[in-house]
Amino acid sequence: MVPSTVSIVRAPAYDQSIYERVKRMLSAHNLDVRSRRVLLKPNLVEFEPESSINTNPLLVHAVMESFREMGASSVRIAEGPGHRRNTLDLADAAGYFKIIPRFEDEFVDLNLDDVTRVQPTRLYSRLTKIYLPNTALGADLLVSIAKMKTHHWVGATLSMKNLFGVIPSGIYGWPKNVLHWAGMNECIADLHTVFRRQFAIVDGIVGMEGNGPIQGVPKRAGVLVAGGDPVAVDATCCRIMGIDPFKIGYLRLASGELQSHLTERNILQAGEKIADVATDFELPPDFPGLRLEKT
Amino acid sequence: MPIEMLAGRQNPDGGWPYVQGRSWTEPTVYAVMAMLAVGEKATAQKGLRWILAGQRKDGGWAPQPGVDESTWVTALVALLPPEHLGYAHDRAIAWLLETKGEETSFTYRLREHLLGNQASLEKQDPGWPWVPGAAAWVGPTAIALLALVKEARRKNNPEVQTRIEAGRRFLLSRMCVDGGWNHGSVRALGYESRPYPETTGMGLVAMRGVKSPKIEQSLSVARGFLNQCHSADALNWLRLGLLAHDQLPAGFCPPAAVEYRTLIETALQVLVSAVEKGNNLFWS
Repeated sequence: MVPSTVSIVRAPAYDQSIYERVKRMLSAHNLDVRSRRVLLKPNLVEFEPESSINTNPLLVHAVMESFREMGASSVRIAEGPGHRRNTLDLADAAGYFKIIPRFEDEFVDLNLDDVTRVQPTRLYSRLTKIYLPNTALGADLLVSIAKMKTHHWVGATLSMKNLFGVIPSGIYGWPKNVLHWAGMNECIADLHTVFRRQFAIVDGIVGMEGNGPIQGVPKRAGVLVAGGDPVAVDATCCRIMGIDPFKIGYLRLASGELQSHLTERNILQAGEKIADVATDFELPPDFPGLRLEKT
Repeated sequence: MPIEMLAGRQNPDGGWPYVQGRSWTEPTVYAVMAMLAVGEKATAQKGLRWILAGQRKDGGWAPQPGVDESTWVTALVALLPPEHLGYAHDRAIAWLLETKGEETSFTYRLREHLLGNQASLEKQDPGWPWVPGAAAWVGPTAIALLALVKEARRKNNPEVQTRIEAGRRFLLSRMCVDGGWNHGSVRALGYESRPYPETTGMGLVAMRGVKSPKIEQSLSVARGFLNQCHSADALNWLRLGLLAHDQLPAGFCPPAAVEYRTLIETALQVLVSAVEKGNNLFWS
C-alpha cells in the first residue's frame, strides 16, 4: 500500500502566523487545484464564540487564501449545521463575517441547497437512499476543516465526522437523526466513500476534551493536522489526543479489512512527530477504554 | 416592505425558495400564509396551486419536489386554511395521525427490551419525527400539534384529540430542566442540555392553552431570551410563543440589528405582525 502523507504543523495561536503555517502545511501535499472548484467545509455548531466548538474563521480564511494562491478557479465555504437552523447567524456569531471579506457571497448553506439523490454504497449503514447538496457534489475538491474534539457518541469527531454537516437538514431536520438510526459510525464510513476527492484539515490549536463535541472543555494541542487521506489524518489526530484509532468504530470501518490506513507504518508523517506534540485529551465519560497505550 | 419583497421573490412555478433557486415546501407554505394574512389572494393562489401539485400518494409532502419521501413539512401544509386545500387537507391530517417517532414503535421497544434496556417496554408518548423512521423531536412535534389543534376545532375526532394530548405530554417530557426547549435533548450523557430561543418559542406556541408551573418556567426563559436574540428565526418564534400565552411585553419592539436572512424569516415576520393585529393563521 502507498503510504499516506499526513502533516503536523505547530500552531500556538489563532493569529496572523496561521497564514504562513497553513501554506507550509499544504505545500507538503503537492495538491494541484489549478482551475478547480474547491469547497471548504468548517464545523459550525453553536452560538458560543468564546468556546472551542466551532472551526476558527482565521484558519478557514488562511486555507481559502492558500487555495486561491494555488490557482483554484473558485474557493467557497459551505456548512449545514445540525442543531441550529440559523446558519448565517451562527457564522456571524463565530466571527466569520468579520474575518472573511464578502463572507456571505462566498458561503453556501448546505442545509438549504438544491439536492440530488445519491445511492449510498451501503457498505456499512442502513441508509437506503440519501439526498446530498449539489454544491458539495459538484466540488472538485471537498476540504473538511474540522475541530479536534472528543465526541460523546463516537469517541472523537475529526475530519470524517465533520462531513455530517454536508447532509442537508432541509431534508433531514435538526438534528439529522436519520443518521443516528442508520448507525452513526456506519454512516460516517459510508459518507466517506461518497466524496472521492477530499482533503482533510483538523484544527487542534484549541480543541475540546471531555464530554465533546459541545459540552466538553477547551484543550490546547497547538497543532494543525492535514492530509489527502481523511482516515490517516483522523488516525494521526487520535494518536495526538492519546486515543487509540483502532478503537474508533468509523475509522475501523473506513480503513477496510486490513485497517491499513490506521497503521502508523502506512502513514508518512511530515512536519512534527506525533510524540513531540501528543497531549492526552480527557476521554468522554462513556469511552474509558479508548486510551492509547503508550509503548 | 417585507410583503412586497416576499411577493417579488415568488418563483415562476408559484413556489418560493429559502433564499434563491428552486422552490421548497416550507418557505412556500409560510409565504402563502403571509399572503393570505395580508389579503394578497392572487399571489397566494399561485402558491397554493404549487403546494397542491406536490402532494404525494401517501397524503404527505416532501421538502422539495423530486425528494421521494413525505416528511414533517406535511404538518406545515396542514396548517393552511383547509378551505384552500379541500380533500388534500384531510389526507394530510391522516398522514400526521399515522406518523410517530420510531422510538415509540412496539418493534423498537421490544428490540431494546430484549437487548436489556428495561425501561423501553414502558409506553412513551409519541411525538413527530423530522423524517419517518427516526425519533421524535421538538420542532416537528410543535408544528404537528399546531395543525392538529386547528383541526380539532374544525372537526370532532377522538383520534386527533388523543394525539394532541400525547404530543403535549411529549413536549413536556422534553422540556429542559430549568424551562424552555432545545431540539429535544434534555440530557446528553448525564449533562443538562440548554434551551434554544427558537425551539422554546415553538414549544410555547404548541402548548398554547396549557397552564402549569413548567409552562410558566418556559415563559420566563422565553422572556429572558427575547432581548438577546441572535437571529430573526429565534425572534419570530419567541414573539409567537409569548403571544400564544398573552405574555409578549406590551410595546415590544424587535431589535433593528437582527437580519432577516431567509424568506421564511421574512414570511414569519409578516405572520407575527398579523397575529399582533388579530389576524391569526396559527391558532385561529
